[in-house]
Amino acid sequence: MPFTTPLGNQQIETAEPSVDNQTDEVVDLQLPWIVLVWNDPINLMSYVSFVLQKLFGYPKEKADSLMMDVHEKGRAVVSNGPRERAELDVFRLHEHGLWATMQQDT
Amino acid sequence: MRLRKQKGPIIANGDGTFSISLTTDERATLLGFVDQLASILESGPDDARLRRLYPTAYHNDPEHDAEYQGYMRDELSQSRMASINVVKELLASEESISEAQLHAFMTVLNNLRLVLGTLLDVGEEDDEPDEDDPAFGQWQLYSYLGWLLEWTVSALTE
Repeated sequence: MPFTTPLGNQQIETAEPSVDNQTDEVVDLQLPWIVLVWNDPINLMSYVSFVLQKLFGYPKEKADSLMMDVHEKGRAVVSNGPRERAELDVFRLHEHGLWATMQQDT
Repeated sequence: MRLRKQKGPIIANGDGTFSISLTTDERATLLGFVDQLASILESGPDDARLRRLYPTAYHNDPEHDAEYQGYMRDELSQSRMASINVVKELLASEESISEAQLHAFMTVLNNLRLVLGTLLDVGEEDDEPDEDDPAFGQWQLYSYLGWLLEWTVSALTE
């Protein structure tokens, strides 16, 4: 075996989605929350589309189109709603290894 | 994609069940990697190799994010370990599996790719290194997992 410990610990550079530095934002309870999926170079396109179909019940065309937005524009809004709903969606996306975040719509 | 359906390692049996056509060696190799993933997960979400498995939830909002991670991280870890246990069981047997089991297989393959891709610092335009590269074996494994994952998704969407 050329790789006995392929997941062995090595130096890893940290990176996070780009930050827009919004601070002191007043939380408006009326504003809905949006869930974003960010582009990443690891997840397969077919996999991302399948996960969006599976989790949100989107038809293949819509899931493919969202996936292409993520790929080409860097991110896409995949769902929105009340905060608790958004948290659940983020959790399920993280469960499937997608790079998802949530924020209040502005 | 030019993959041919009839040659795939994941076969939809037509009755809602699936078969995984992998050699004993492949199963043993995969089991070894899954065991490694389990032990890394046990080391806790702060391990740098798991960075992609525990992303930030609240964008630009560290306070809410800390709160969220406080009650969701454990649940996320438990969900991952549950899928790993399903996969260990199905890799140890040649019997056909359910859609739910194949779904667990899919998420575990993806977890492995995320950890390996993080270690390899995979970028958008990366080409595989040549055979002299010390990471060549890891890149081969990364490609293999991607190939298997494509076939899994394909079987689930048939």
